[in-house]
Amino acid sequence: MSKADLIRSTRFRKEREADWQRLEALVAQAERDGLQRMDFTEARDLATLYRQATSSLAIAREISLDQALLNYLEALTARAYLSVYAPQERLGGLFRKFFVQSAPQAMRRSWLFILIGFLCMGLGVLAGYQLYLENPAWYHVFMPPELAGGRGPSSTTEELRRVIYDENPSASGLGAFATTLFSHNTRIAIFVFGLGVFLCAPAILLTFYNGLMLGAFFALHAERGLGPDLGGWLSIHGVTEISAICVACGGGVQLGAAVLFPGDKTRTQALYHAGRDAAKLALVAAVMLIAAALLEGFGRQLVQDVSMRYALGWGIGLCWFVWFGLGGKARQ
Amino acid sequence: MPPEGVPLKLEVAGLGVRLAAQITDVILTLIAAVCLLILVASLGFSSPGTLIAIGSLMFFVIRVPYYVMSELAWNGQTLGKRLMKIKVVSHDGTSLSTHSLVLRNLMKEAEIFLPATLLLSLDAASPLASGLALGWMAAGLMVPLCNRYRQRLGDLVAGTHVIHQPVPVLLKDLAEQPAVQTARQEGGGFLTHQLEHYGAFELQTLETLLRAQETTVRAGSNRKRDATIEAVVEKIRQKIGYANKVPAAQRLEFLRAFYNAQRAHLEQRQLFGERRNDKHYAAEDMSP
Repeated sequence: MSKADLIRSTRFRKEREADWQRLEALVAQAERDGLQRMDFTEARDLATLYRQATSSLAIAREISLDQALLNYLEALTARAYLSVYAPQERLGGLFRKFFVQSAPQAMRRSWLFILIGFLCMGLGVLAGYQLYLENPAWYHVFMPPELAGGRGPSSTTEELRRVIYDENPSASGLGAFATTLFSHNTRIAIFVFGLGVFLCAPAILLTFYNGLMLGAFFALHAERGLGPDLGGWLSIHGVTEISAICVACGGGVQLGAAVLFPGDKTRTQALYHAGRDAAKLALVAAVMLIAAALLEGFGRQLVQDVSMRYALGWGIGLCWFVWFGLGGKARQ
Repeated sequence: MPPEGVPLKLEVAGLGVRLAAQITDVILTLIAAVCLLILVASLGFSSPGTLIAIGSLMFFVIRVPYYVMSELAWNGQTLGKRLMKIKVVSHDGTSLSTHSLVLRNLMKEAEIFLPATLLLSLDAASPLASGLALGWMAAGLMVPLCNRYRQRLGDLVAGTHVIHQPVPVLLKDLAEQPAVQTARQEGGGFLTHQLEHYGAFELQTLETLLRAQETTVRAGSNRKRDATIEAVVEKIRQKIGYANKVPAAQRLEFLRAFYNAQRAHLEQRQLFGERRNDKHYAAEDMSP
C-alpha cells in the first residue's frame, strides 16, 4: 500500500510521530533530572520540538478528527510547555535579589500601610498606658497571665527589678520564657498579616490590642519608677520585634485595603496586585522576628547595662531603617 | 494560555486529590520536625516543659520553607503533589514566579494551619474561641468550593491554579488501514451521499467504541458486546441506506471501514471550511 492511500490526517501523524515521541522522552527527562542537568543538544531539541508540537496541535485541531490524537497532542504540549517555561532562577540569586533590591523597594512603596501599622500600635500603647493609670485592674483585662510571667500590680518593685536585671541568667529558664514570648509574638505577626485579607479590621484590632498590652505593661513599671529600666529591657529586642509586628500589620492592611477599595480593577486583580508587596512585607517581618529572637535569646541576658541596652536596641533599629530607606535604589 | 498563542486546556485538580497531597506533605514535615525535636531533646538543651512549644516552633520553621523551596525547585510540585501527579501553574501562562509561590504558601498558613493549631491548642473550656477557629477554617475551605477553578484564597492572591499533570498516551491510529483498500475488500464501499449523515461527534463516539473493542477482551462480556455491535451496525445501515447485509463475522470490519470513510469525508469537508459537529448540522445551517 502506498502512502497516498492513507487519509490526510493519518499521513500528517505518521510524518511527525517520531518527533513527538522524542519530545515525550525529553520532557520526562527534564521533569526527572531538571533542566540544568540536560546537555546542550537535548535542551535545544526540547525547545524546538516543543514549538513543533505546538504548531502540530494547532494544525491537528483544524484537520484531524481523531480524538485520541488530539488528546495526546494536547497533553504532550501542555506537559512540554510546563517544563519549558519552568522557573529558572537559582535559590542563591533569589535571596540576594530579595535582600538587596526587592525588599527595601517594597517597604518604600507601601510606607503608608506600614505607617498605619505603627499608628495602630502607638495608639494601643497610649490607650493601655492611660487606662492603667486610671485603674490598675485593667492590667488583668489586657494581659494574659502566661505572658505576664507573674508580674502584675500586686508584685513588688523589687520583684519587677529582678526580672529586668537578671542576676543569674542561666537559672532563669532562658528557654522557657524566651520561647513562649517569641512564639507568641510570631503568632501575632502571622495572625495580623493573614487576617488582613478579611477587610483589615482583625489586623488593626489585633495590633491595637497588642499595643494595649504593651502600654499597660509599661505603665505598671513606670508607676514604680522603673520606666527607663524597662525601656532598656524592652528596646534591646523590642524595637525589632514590635516593628516586625507593625510591618506585618502593614502587609495585612494592604491586602485588606485591596479588597475594600479595589479601584478600577476587579477585587481578585487588586488582591493579586497588592499581594506582590504584601508578601515581601511578610518576609521582611519574618526576617526581623528571627533577628529579634536572636537578640532576645542572647543580648538581653548578656547585656545588663541600661544605656548599652538602649544603644544596642535602637542602633539595630537604625540599621533596619537605613536598609529600608537606602537599599535597592536604582543607580544613576 | 502559553506565549506560543495556541491555547491549551488543563484539567483543574479536584479537592480530594489536593487534600491527599496536603496530608502527605504534612506527614512528611511532621516527621522531620519530630526527628529534629528528638535530636534537641537528646542533647538536653531544654526542659521537658518547653518541648511542645519548641516542637511546634520547629514544625513551623521546617514547614514554611519546605513548601516554597520544593515548589520552586520542582516547578510547582511538593513531594505530596508529585505523588498525586498534580502541579501548580500560574494563571496567566507565564512561568511561576517566586513571589506567587511564597504568597500562596504564606496564605496557606493563615488559612489552614493557624486555625488548626488554634483548634488543637484550645481546650473545651472555651467553646466560643474553638467555634470561631472552626468557622474560620470552614470559611477558608468554602472558598475553593465556591469558585470555578477550585482556587484557595492563597491561589487567588497569588494568581495560581492547581492542575492535574496531563499524561500523554499515544493510541494507535484507527485509520492506518488505507480507506480505499478496506472499501475494496468490502465490495462496493460507501458513496458520498451515504457519508453525509453523521458529524464529528458521532465519528468520535464510534472511535471510542472501536477502541474499546481492542482493549477489553473478556470472556464474560462477549455476548453483550456482540449485541451492541450488531445494534450499531444495523442502526448505521438503516441511516445511510446501505443495501448489503453485513455478515456477523464482518461486522467489526464494516465498522472500521465506515469509520475510515466517514473520517476521510468529514476531514475533507473541514478543510473546505465546513465543520460538522454532529448529525444535526443541517438544522443549524437552516436556522443561523
